[in-house]
Formats: sequence, structure tokens, C-alpha cells
Amino acid sequence: MLARFTAVTGRVVEARVEEAQVVALLVRRCAAGDAVAWEELVQRFHRRIYNICYRFAGSAEDAQDLTQEVFIKVYRTVASFDGEKASFNTWLTTVTRNLLVDHFRKKRNDRMTDSMDAAQGADEDGPSLAERLASNQPSQQSHVESHERQQMVHRALQLISPDLREAVILRDLQDMDYREIAQVLKVPEGTVKSRINRGRAELARVLQRTYRPAL
Amino acid sequence: MLGENKSGMLCTEFDALLTEAVEGTLKGEQRLRFEQHQAACATCEALFAEVTKGAAWLHEMEDVAPPPMLVHNILAATSGVGQAAAKAEEARTSAWERLRRQVSGIFAPVLTPRFGMSLGMAFFSVTLVLNMAQIRIKDLTPHNLSHTFYSSQNKVMKYYENMRLVYEIESRVRDLRNASEENEREREERNRRHEKNNNQIQEQNQNNQPQPGGHQDFSLGQSWRWLASMGGREMYLGELAMQRREI
Repeated sequence: MLARFTAVTGRVVEARVEEAQVVALLVRRCAAGDAVAWEELVQRFHRRIYNICYRFAGSAEDAQDLTQEVFIKVYRTVASFDGEKASFNTWLTTVTRNLLVDHFRKKRNDRMTDSMDAAQGADEDGPSLAERLASNQPSQQSHVESHERQQMVHRALQLISPDLREAVILRDLQDMDYREIAQVLKVPEGTVKSRINRGRAELARVLQRTYRPAL
Repeated sequence: MLGENKSGMLCTEFDALLTEAVEGTLKGEQRLRFEQHQAACATCEALFAEVTKGAAWLHEMEDVAPPPMLVHNILAATSGVGQAAAKAEEARTSAWERLRRQVSGIFAPVLTPRFGMSLGMAFFSVTLVLNMAQIRIKDLTPHNLSHTFYSSQNKVMKYYENMRLVYEIESRVRDLRNASEENEREREERNRRHEKNNNQIQEQNQNNQPQPGGHQDFSLGQSWRWLASMGGREMYLGELAMQRREI
């Protein structure tokens, strides 16, 4: 069993190394002006970047705009990327995170906190948080319940602090390791772990407070 | 509370190991001490429960599918690769299709039910007016229109010329009338003067008998008038300086 685990882990590590080499080659070709390589990079990373933006910003429209901004910025600065300092994935995530912070600061002046009655996320016309709290309609199917729970978690994510939110998103949703997250957030690994735990606990409290009947 | 030592572990140490414990990577003695502290500390136990639940809910989250045109929009905004594909697609469409799209785009604001109703009413009104003015559609051909234009132009020119002629005639008649009136006035003036002169001459003739010791002084004008009266002709002698001395 240990041998199998080691083999599986080894294959995962090899796949990751191979992936990193392919990406590095694509980045070099992009820096040289290869449009086909650029398209390949966009195809590989656009889904991940879009999810980070969507989970942080809470809105599909904002996520789309932010994703485009990320890739526009990367396209303009890809020639200055230094593969020795960090991986392309880490650098891309750093650019994304910086744009998300700027976006949050800009929107902070418009609204201080989300209302419990504000319906956000991809399901824009879904019931509000308070409506779900008061709802007595039982879910008939497990995948519907799962989808609804995901919507509730997504909305609850918007209610926790942005510092905790970004740490939680990068670790629990994007599966980045602590070292990479520390590079992206420019804080020590201990701080990263602390923020992740506090983010998870805060999320649980918000969900317990608003969705106790449904959960 | 965070610094309390329970089962050989501080709460701060418990907090530092929380991540590994939740993710199941905590091993050996550390895990044993962790669990002992968890059992002994209610606060840390509650914290552990909350963090575990939060992590579980987050791990249920699935990726969201991005919009289908996202890659295309990104490429269009950056390298333009998507634009090249769009241009190739455009080249494959026929010229008639491209023309149709352009025309549709221009007239799109007009091709709505509201404007259709307005256009229908406008067409009806124009038709009614043409009908009442007895203007037929075939009269609106270029040949007929140019004929109508030139004939109307001729009529206007003739009217103008007629009016000018009338004005000129009126002006001449007015001038002639004025001239005749002026001549009439002058003639009357001459006649009046002549009568006056005649009367004066007759008076002088009656009074102009040689008087003893008298002396008659004839001015030049009187001499001329006398000569004229003697000749029996009425002559207009013009403006002469006349000086009559009363005797």
C-alpha cells in the first residue's frame, strides 16, 4: 500500500514537473511574440483565474472583467517574467490577487457590507439568504441540495474579511501550497496558515448563523 | 486563554498545528498532544470544530464554468488572434450577406413596430394629398417633372416681365401727367403775369399824358413792354430787371 501511495505520489509529482516545463516553454515563446503560445497559455489558465476572481468578487460579470484585465496585464508584462524567482502559476496568481485587491478597494466605497437580502454569484435571480433561512421547502435531490449549498457558501464567502477570503480561496479552492500562497500574499507561511484557519472558522460561523435550518 | 497550558500544549501551539490537523497531515506525538489538548480545552475544541466544518464546506465547492466567449475576448484584447479568426470568418461570408448585415445595422433603429406605424401613417397622408391635388404618379417621372419645372419657370418670368412693363407704363404716365400739370401751371402763371402787365401798361397809357412840369421816367422794362403792347403781340419777355418809378 505504501508502495502504491508512493507510486501515485511520484506520478503526480512527475506530472506536475512536466506541466511546469511545458508552461515555462510556452512562456518563453510568448515573450518572443508567439501568438499561438499565448493562446495556449490562455486556454490553460483562464478557467482557474476566472474561478479565483469569481469566488473573490462574488459576481460573474466582475469575474469576467477581472479575468480579462489579468490576462491583458500578463500579456503586456510577460517579457519581464523571471522564471528563477517563482513559477508562472505563482506569478499569474500574484497578478490576479493584486488586481482583486484594487477592485475590492474601489468597490469598498460603494458598499460597505453585503446585505443579507442581496443575491449574488452566478445564480443572480436566486432567493436571498434570508429567504432561504425562512424557506421550508425541502430539497428533493442531492445534487440540487449540493448546488444550493455551494451557492450559500459562495455568498457566505463574500461576508468574511478579504484577507481571510483570499487565503481560503487559494488554499481550499485552488489547492495551492502554503509556500506559494506566502509568495503571492507576501506574508510568512505561519500567517498564511493562521489566516486560512480563521477564514474557515469565520465561514462556518456565518453559515451556522444564517443557514442553520438548511444545514 | 490562548496561552493556557493544557495537556502539555499551549493554545497558541494548538492554533499553529490546527491546519495540519484539519488536513490530516499531523503525525506521531504531535498529533497525540494535539488531541489531548483538544479534549481538555473547550475553546480549542470549538475552534477545531468550526475550522473543520468550514474546510468541509469549502471542499464541496466545484469550479464554475467561465463564459464561453471569455477566451475569445481575452485573445481579441491582447494578441488579436481571435480577431484574425473573426476576419477569416468574415471573408467566408458572401458579399450579399455582408451588405445585408450593414444595411440591417443602419436601419435597425427604424425597423421597429413603432416606426413602422409612423411610416405607414406618413405614406397614407402623402398619398391623400397627392390625390386631392390630382397629382398622378406618372406625373412624377423625371421628364414630366422637368417639363413642369420649366413651364412654371416660364410663367413666373412672364408674370415678372408683365409686372415690370406695367410699372414702367405707370411711371411714364405719371411723369407725363406731372409734366402736363407743370406746363399748365406755367402757362397760367404766364397768362396771369401778362394780364397784370397789360393792366399796368393800360394804366400807364391812361396816365402817361404829357403833364406840365411833369417828368416821366421810363425804365427799360416798361419800354419793352410798351413796345410789345404797341406791336399788339403778346410776348413773354423773360426775366428782366424792372424798376418802376411812381410819378
